[in-house]
Amino acid sequence: MRVLVVEDERKLAQVLASALEAERYEVVVAATGEDGFFRANAELFDLVLLDLMLPGRSGLEILQTLRQRHIETPVLILTARDGVDDRVLGLDLGADDYLIKPFALPELLARIRALLRRGRPSEVLRLKAADLELDLLTRRAARGDRLLDLTGREFELLEYLLRHQGHLVSREMLAREVWKEPRRATPLDNVIDVQMTRLRKKVDADGSARLIHTVRGVGFVLREGEP
Amino acid sequence: MIGWWSRASIRVRLTAWYMAVLCLMLLAYATATFIAVRHEFREQFELEHDGAALEYPPGQTDEERLQAQLREILVVMALGLPPIVALAGLGGYVLARRALAPIDRLASEAHRITADRLHERLSVPNPNDEIGRLAGVINETLARLESSFDQLRRFTADASHELRTPLSVIRGIGEIGLGQTRTPAEYKEAMGSMLEEVDRLTRLVDTLLRLSSGDAGTIRLSREWVDLGELTRDIVSSLGILAEERNQRVRLDVGEHVRVIADRLVLREAITNVIDNAIKYGPVGSAIDVRVRRDGEEGVVSIADQGGGIPAAHRDRIFDRFYRIDEARSRASGGTGLGLAIAKWAVEVNGGRISVDATQPGAVFQIRLPVVVATTDTARTS
Repeated sequence: MRVLVVEDERKLAQVLASALEAERYEVVVAATGEDGFFRANAELFDLVLLDLMLPGRSGLEILQTLRQRHIETPVLILTARDGVDDRVLGLDLGADDYLIKPFALPELLARIRALLRRGRPSEVLRLKAADLELDLLTRRAARGDRLLDLTGREFELLEYLLRHQGHLVSREMLAREVWKEPRRATPLDNVIDVQMTRLRKKVDADGSARLIHTVRGVGFVLREGEP
Repeated sequence: MIGWWSRASIRVRLTAWYMAVLCLMLLAYATATFIAVRHEFREQFELEHDGAALEYPPGQTDEERLQAQLREILVVMALGLPPIVALAGLGGYVLARRALAPIDRLASEAHRITADRLHERLSVPNPNDEIGRLAGVINETLARLESSFDQLRRFTADASHELRTPLSVIRGIGEIGLGQTRTPAEYKEAMGSMLEEVDRLTRLVDTLLRLSSGDAGTIRLSREWVDLGELTRDIVSSLGILAEERNQRVRLDVGEHVRVIADRLVLREAITNVIDNAIKYGPVGSAIDVRVRRDGEEGVVSIADQGGGIPAAHRDRIFDRFYRIDEARSRASGGTGLGLAIAKWAVEVNGGRISVDATQPGAVFQIRLPVVVATTDTARTS
């Protein structure tokens, strides 16, 4: 998987590159709008990460030209502007998704996975991690042969963690995807934490190996062994 | 008389003055004319009785004499008019100048007041006349301007203070972490701690940006029909878990359907913040009463906790940005000090108001929103 990162801020480009490389993507960094424009047109990528405010050629311009030439590579916009207009404009010009700076890396990686997965729907009915099993059809959860008694919200939460197993999940992602709250507020963070504690008590009860881990300052991860 | 005069409006005073001047002038004019006419009549009288017409050329008929006399009167009247008009004009000018002088003074006073001298006020010599009222209105405007300038200043100072705290924590952790070699676990701990602070900063900046775009009026609302009871029920069920942790019971009492037109997300945030506040400050094991009902033309969500209430000294300011009653406690629970400020803002942009009643034990917050009029209501649902 090749990813083009068009980002002029050197430190941020580095961070993005190492995060993506850690996930085994092949990363090409373009530091200017011109360079990004040239590469996006000349080479083949599976995904483009595009900063909107670039010296030389703006991100929106690059996007527009790409789409005019019918290059349908998924584009994820990174923007510091939290205006509805910018977002709508970006999406209208053919961007597939956007993230507002400062974003959390787990969130970015999840979005990238979702974009790359797109068009290949894989409807799973069962999710598994170690001896934890979730049946999405009957909505039953079991750890080994111990049936878990989960509330609706706990089930959804566990399902989300399992779908992203091995990957970090931020509170922001949980707020949006599980609680369906587009805006994250402090009260909701506390709700998420309490809910997670309860879920963990049920899932990782009586001596079973710990599956749900808290990563301080980042969020949670469902994974066998240490995070 | 003097009392009445100073209380009267400029309009009345000007009219009275002008009437007096006009009276005087007309009197003078009439007197002059009268004297002239009397003189003519006298001459004629003498002429007719003496029989000797010395002043008039002989051969003149009576009619011709009359004509000559009328002409003379006309000349007197015509000659008298310009000085009278000039005098009246002069009087008017003096009057107008006297009446308008305070406006010039007002202008030069207002000119002196700048952003740095907003505490100054215009002088009001007579609060009852037009100019006094104008000065009063300008002074009120200045007072409002001053208070919002103060608020802005305080807000900027508070905001930079709030932003500095997480920044210095991040800096400190970084410096300590790099001070000497540490174990991987300690590095992890330090980085996690830094990320927590970054998160706090991010949220703070988000909130500040939202409040400021709210102030600037650039926020766009997507208004829709909102069932207040349904929305509140939803929020209570979402936050219920926090109350459970504190062994609190949230008693929800939703009466009839109350529908308002509001931006659902924004309103949701307001109610969420107030209920969260009640959970945080209500004692462990207490109850929180949330009621939704209709009160005349308003839909009311009231949230009552059984906490210590709000001391009178703080009551006016709890909706202020960054205002905290208990600094340490609020910070410890992760508060930004903006929860109620956001709630107030969120209610007000939706055309409602929020208030706190602390006459009872505990605090009762009330969120009031105008309800949808029944006729349009049925029109929409049908």
